[in-house]
Amino acid sequence: LLFAMGLGTTITFASSHWLLAWMGLEINTLAILPLMCQSHHPRAVEATIKYFLTQATAAAMLLFASITNAWITGQWNLEFMSYSLPTTLVTVALALKIGLAPLHAWMPEVLQGLDLTTGLILSTWQKLAPFCLLLQINPSNTSLLLILGLASTLVGGWGGLNQNQLRKILAYSSIAHLGWMILVLQFFPSLTLLTLFMYFVMTFSLFISFKVNNSTTINSLSMSWSKTPIISSMVPFILLSLGGLPPLSGFMPKWLILQELTKQSLAPLATLAALSALLSLYFYLRISYAMTLTMSPNTLLNALPWRLPSNQHTLPLAITT
Amino acid sequence: MLKILIPSMFMLLTTWTSPFKQLWSTILMYSFLVATLSLTWLAMPTDTGWFYINNYMAYDPLSSPLLVLTCWLLPLMIIASQNHLAVEPENRQRTYISLLISLQIFLILAFSATEMIMFYVMFEATLIPTLIIITRWGNQMERLNAGTYFLFYTLAGSLPLLVALLIYHSSMGSLSYLSLTSLPLTCSNLYADKLWWMACLLAFLVKMPLYGVHLWLPKAHVEAPIAGSMVLAAVLLKLGGYGMMRIMIILDPLTKELSYPFIILALWGVIMTGSICLRQTDLKSLIAYSSVSHMGLVAAGILIQTPWGFTGALILMIAHGLTSSALFCLANTNYERTHSRTIILARGLQMVLPLMATWWFLASLANLALPPLPNLMGEIMIITSLFNWSFYTLILTGLGTLITASYSLYMFLLTQRGPIPHHLILLEPSHTREHLLLALHLLPLLLLIAKPELVWGWTA
Repeated sequence: LLFAMGLGTTITFASSHWLLAWMGLEINTLAILPLMCQSHHPRAVEATIKYFLTQATAAAMLLFASITNAWITGQWNLEFMSYSLPTTLVTVALALKIGLAPLHAWMPEVLQGLDLTTGLILSTWQKLAPFCLLLQINPSNTSLLLILGLASTLVGGWGGLNQNQLRKILAYSSIAHLGWMILVLQFFPSLTLLTLFMYFVMTFSLFISFKVNNSTTINSLSMSWSKTPIISSMVPFILLSLGGLPPLSGFMPKWLILQELTKQSLAPLATLAALSALLSLYFYLRISYAMTLTMSPNTLLNALPWRLPSNQHTLPLAITT
Repeated sequence: MLKILIPSMFMLLTTWTSPFKQLWSTILMYSFLVATLSLTWLAMPTDTGWFYINNYMAYDPLSSPLLVLTCWLLPLMIIASQNHLAVEPENRQRTYISLLISLQIFLILAFSATEMIMFYVMFEATLIPTLIIITRWGNQMERLNAGTYFLFYTLAGSLPLLVALLIYHSSMGSLSYLSLTSLPLTCSNLYADKLWWMACLLAFLVKMPLYGVHLWLPKAHVEAPIAGSMVLAAVLLKLGGYGMMRIMIILDPLTKELSYPFIILALWGVIMTGSICLRQTDLKSLIAYSSVSHMGLVAAGILIQTPWGFTGALILMIAHGLTSSALFCLANTNYERTHSRTIILARGLQMVLPLMATWWFLASLANLALPPLPNLMGEIMIITSLFNWSFYTLILTGLGTLITASYSLYMFLLTQRGPIPHHLILLEPSHTREHLLLALHLLPLLLLIAKPELVWGWTA
């Protein structure tokens, strides 16, 4: 199954023909579906079905857009998409696939239904293929991308404020970060890749930390100081890095994106995006309060083993750029 | 410069590798050594002022007093924290000290930055250790709220600053302090430029704090442990003032008309917060509001943009840093004995702790700006330059001085004179450590009477 997922993404990476790209995306989707409903819990099955429906819609729209492009231009090559209708359709389809606002509604519920590892795969690996496609077509519709990006950062920030389920919080943080990535897509695509990569590293560490603590709500995180003190002391740094505080590494993509936006004279947009990052910072801060900065009064009756598997992921994050 | 920065970084290593019994003494000696070495910065043989260490770090007569203040404050913070940390497990003590040291490193880098972006990054970086100190080691439940207010007020002000700096960079090509004087922004009346001006200043005004956006300060100061309060009052507020002074150079033509409401707000804040001080029941809150009051004067002095205004602002910043920190230490001595910040629960201390009353007396006199202390010098210079700008400010500043004097005296009389409350059965005698702490705070202040040119800034 994992092999099939890897195969799917790789096919999309290597493809220059739309049909092959679409096939890669479909293989990807189909391969992850059994992984998602492994636990046979009704919520997992429901999440699987929602995921399947949204991804299938997106893939169908993608196929439709590529056929339209082939009809108009007479070729199936990925790079040569010069007409606005297919390009816009492709952008919207890919936005649905990765969960950008306003096409984000499936993301929190789907992530909530999965266990932490599958959720990790969903939010990191699954984003690679659509991004590769987004980078190769040249989205010419500036305002569409900017609206998608800004809406995502705002929705990601506001939506996460009322949550105390960790997986939903991670879903909203994913939406917000994807928004940042899309903002800079047409100006400086390498920055998109940089943001994507930084986001992967930070989310990976976060998911693993949550998995070690075996916790899915904020309240259950409060005991982590006794289970794994080292992870407890590093997680605030990961969280603040996700929020984009200097001098942590998470500041770097935000800074460079803001620089690029101001160079393109999009200063009000830059300010709005920066301020919306504050919204998501609030719930990151809340998690770090629960985890590290307060100590819950319950004493631990059993001594859990000290497993420190992901220490090496947490350390690079706390270092300045 | 590197003599100071590299040892500070290695102090972090020392914190984690010293044997536990010698931890505090080792760190104390180390930080005193660094602080003494930092005094060499005050010697300014050249006229131009800028001393370059490398391409990114330099100091000049504006930043060297603040740098020395930062370095001087670390041993004082360590002395002050020794008591309340003694009950904590070993690793937590080491973590606390590491946070204080990392804060100092960021502050040194911030004050010696030559690029505005580096200053910005370090300005934000100081938030993280302070946030951790306040929320982890604060004493009351409200500390989480205080941390949130602190972080979000400062960030909401400083994110527009980042965008503004990037805009300036994209149009001017460089953000180095050295070339800022030769690249002023041309005067224009576009609304967007006024927004840009506002964005540049907002971060520093929130940090100062200006009266309208000062809400984070009483919360943060009150909930922080003693070292947190000390560093907040003494140095972090001055980051705001320092940043404002640096960025005034490029804001020049617009400031003549746009700064008007902020000067008035600052002066009004002096009076308002002074009046609030007269009605406070919480000792630390009183000192916090007096900080807002003094920094309001500093803000007004900087916004006036005259040499006397800048000089007065710098002197007042240094003097206020030492005084405020001393007052917080005194409040902490009360807190450690009674575990309460309420003033009326710890009165009449002159009967019980007479030597401490001396320090209370000196600190209160410094707070109300008694001559010949540098506090007065700063205040008089700012008041004079404000009077030069407009006659009517004298009403506000005069009233402000009056109210400052009255609440400082009120604080002194309430804590020291009068009958001792009946419930105070057990008060420890003053530790030598506490006397040392206060002496080290007030001694530089008294010595500055003799040579104030050290902190005068550019005007010699």
